[in-house]
Amino acid sequence: MNDHDDQASADRPEVITLSFPARADLVVLARFTAATLGSRAGFDVEEIEDLRLAVDELVVSFEAVQAGGTVQLRCTQSGGEVLIECTVEPGANGDSRQGIAGGELWGADGELSKQLLDALVDQHGREHRDGGPCVWLRKHRAHSGR
Amino acid sequence: MSQVSEENGPIVVVEGEVDLAVAPSLREDLAALVAAGHSTVYVDLLGATFLDSTALGVLVTTREQCLGAGGELHLIVSDPRILKVLQITGLANAFPIHDSRSQIPGSTNGDATDTQ
Repeated sequence: MNDHDDQASADRPEVITLSFPARADLVVLARFTAATLGSRAGFDVEEIEDLRLAVDELVVSFEAVQAGGTVQLRCTQSGGEVLIECTVEPGANGDSRQGIAGGELWGADGELSKQLLDALVDQHGREHRDGGPCVWLRKHRAHSGR
Repeated sequence: MSQVSEENGPIVVVEGEVDLAVAPSLREDLAALVAAGHSTVYVDLLGATFLDSTALGVLVTTREQCLGAGGELHLIVSDPRILKVLQITGLANAFPIHDSRSQIPGSTNGDATDTQ
């Protein structure tokens, strides 16, 4: 592979999708995936730690009303930037009291979660997409070299 | 999670990744200590490698309970990643923070009791 091929490969978006039941003990999967993607995007150790915490906050900050279903993460890295989009498919019974957010915890910590996301990533947001809410974050590699 | 008895108050030792999966049991343990009359409680995070907003929320809630009872919630923490979380959220000055157990006044080598 020559330099041109290396550059083309580095610039090509890499997409990882992850789907897991909305359970507290499985949020670690989102952190693991984000860390792997951050490493592949050339993030340094501190940036990877920031991304791990940010994706955790992204997942747990999801509105309690959607908890109890299936968390779906779409992670894209390209050119030193990581984009993570998170949606939750409601559970079959639509039970809002089960699953990740757990109601009481969410209500107490939403502002803390927002403060952390504000500080850890370049951009984050919440929007309606395909009929349901989607939370997302975007983080760029700070240093220019790989 | 384990507890250590100290002269100035119990120490709850938390290790590993303190996240949404751990936060409920941490909240339960801390609430039980305050309910048992311990107005000052220490949380030893020296072995913690990760702390998210759900765990932080538990600490904030317990801090309020301790203050209401006339005491304080102390944190024992030295990991820069944990300290960074406290700084970002503006809570670094809200808790008395010690970077080792030896900094706690009246510290002894208390017996550890595993609570899980």
